[in-house]
This record gives sequence, structure tokens and C-alpha cells, in this order.
Amino acid sequence: MKPESEKYQKIINLLKESGPGLGSTEDIERVVIRRISKGNYSRSWFSDTIDFLFSWVYIVWVRRALISASVILVFIFILQQGVILRRIDMLSSQTILNNREKVSTQVDEIDKLFIEYKNWGKRFPSKTITISEKQMQELLESVNELKLKYKDLESIIDSDPELQKMIQKKLNENNRLKINL
Amino acid sequence: MIDLQLIEQCRGGNFNNFRKLVELTSPLVYSVAFRMLGDEDQAKDVVQETMVTIWQKLKKIKTAEVYKTWIYRITVNKCYDKMRKRKRNPEYLADDLEWKRISDKISEGPSHALENSETTRIISILTDRLGKKQKAVFILTDLEGMSSDEVSEITGISKSSVKANLFHARKSISEKIEKYL
Repeated sequence: MKPESEKYQKIINLLKESGPGLGSTEDIERVVIRRISKGNYSRSWFSDTIDFLFSWVYIVWVRRALISASVILVFIFILQQGVILRRIDMLSSQTILNNREKVSTQVDEIDKLFIEYKNWGKRFPSKTITISEKQMQELLESVNELKLKYKDLESIIDSDPELQKMIQKKLNENNRLKINL
Repeated sequence: MIDLQLIEQCRGGNFNNFRKLVELTSPLVYSVAFRMLGDEDQAKDVVQETMVTIWQKLKKIKTAEVYKTWIYRITVNKCYDKMRKRKRNPEYLADDLEWKRISDKISEGPSHALENSETTRIISILTDRLGKKQKAVFILTDLEGMSSDEVSEITGISKSSVKANLFHARKSISEKIEKYL
């Protein structure tokens, strides 16, 4: 406060000296005692319990701490919701495999899809295929079986030069090349 | 003088002792309530409500020193409630005549105590721009003569905040005084 405000000090002194007079306190005593007497019986163990349990909310620092905690919790909740939504978006961009859905693709694309299936960690990129897990298992088994048969066929051809010549000749005739799996 | 013995006796449910406590406490409560609210009837309501609350929660009081801070805290909170409930007061604009009257009162000196209505008018004129916390801090510190520690405990705001509120309150009041008186 500025030292020059002498008038300020004068007014404060005047107000201090002129403390408001309550006059007789008898009226207030009477009203208070009447209110207490009325409420004395209604003041039960219930209100005592409520006071005991919840009176701490009147402590300023507790109230502030609770407000801060609730703000933090709301913030965490919103953050978590964001993460969950992002995750849902990501998952919904991938096709969910289930037993009810059928294959909806051309047979020619099987090889390509099989590679994709392997590359995508047993999930297909969206909108390319819907296939059940069981069907995929069957497909894998048949591919493996086919590979084994192909190896057997190779060994048979390698062991028989006549057969080799014959196949080579046939291939040349048809102007086709051998496909390596 | 409020002592622990009287409080102890009141805890036993003795109305006569409580009458004595009301008699001793009411003027303190009334002084703050009247200065805060600027209305005799509302201030008396606050006194009654405060005394009823004191009766209900007297068990929590351990020392007479705490009692004083506690009753002021209840009073200030009840005044806040009243201020919140009533419609926002229109800004109290004093005319030249009113400022002249205040100036005359200051010139008369503290020997001529103000009447309640005059006190109300002066406080209203000086504090109409203050927030409720600033007003409470100003009244408790400058008019009731409490320390910033006590005010901090009563109002539930930090000591630094008390000082800041007091600084702004004094500045606002000083500006008015310098401008009009």
C-alpha cells in the first residue's frame, strides 16, 4: 500500500471504530436455542455418520487434490479412448477371419494370396479376400502335399534319363517351360 | 472470553452454557457478516445459522484457539453462500453528495462512530468492485485486524494468495479514495 494514502488509513480507522452493533443477543439466543431444540431429536446417528464419512470434503487441500485427480482421470480416459479407437480403426482395416465366411476369389490368385497371407502375419489386407481359417489350413496342407509330390516327381525324372529326354521333348513341342515352385 | 471449559460444558448438551457461548460469539460473527453482506437482517441470519452449525459440530473443537478460527471460517462460508444466492448487486455508485458526507465523517475523526447504515454504505461504495475473496480478505485483515496466517486459515486460500488479494483490494479502494475524496 502506498504511504501517501493517509485518507485510506483514516477511513479504515473510522470503519474499525464503528464496529457494527448487534444490540441485544437475546433474540438470536432464543431463535438459535429453538432451532437447536427442534433439530436436536432429528440429529441422529445418521447425520453423525454422514459427517464422519464426508466431512473431509470440506478440507481445502483434499478438495483441490480430488479436483486435480478427477481432471487427470478424465484426461487419461480420453487418451485411452483415443488409443482404443485408433486400434479399432487399424483392426477394422484388416479382414477378420472366421469359419462362417467363404472364399470369394479366383483360383488363379491363390498363390499370390498365399504369399500375402504369409507376409501379413496370417492376416489379409482389407478388401482382398474373405476366407475361413479352416479353409486356409486346408489350402496350406494341399500346397505342402503338392510340394512333396513335385519333389517325388523331380527325383523320379532325375533317376530316369529316358524319361527326362521324353519330357524335354514334350515341353519343347509345346513350347513351354518348366515352372519352379 | 471464550475458553475451552465453556466449550466442553456446551458439548455436554447444556443449553444454558450454550447461551453463554452464543452471547460471546454472536458479536464476532455479526461483525464479519455485517461487513461482508452490508445487510443487518442477512447478517443476523448468518449469526443464527453459524450458531446452529457450531452447536452441531462442537465435538470437533479441541482448543479454544481453534474455535475462533473455526467460527470465522463458518461465518465467511455462510456469507459466501448468501452472496451467491442473492442477485448480483448493482454497482453502488456514490454521488458527489455522498462522497462529501463520507469526507465530512472522516474529518470528524474516529470519535464520531458511524451508524450501521453509514458503515454499510461506505463499505459498499469502497468494495463494490472487489470479488468475494478480495472483500473477505480486506474485511478480515484491515477491519477485523487479523494476521495473514489467520485469514489464510479462515478463507482456505494460501498465504501468498491472501497477500495478493489484499494488495488488489487495497489498491482498488485507494484508487476510489484518491479519486473522490
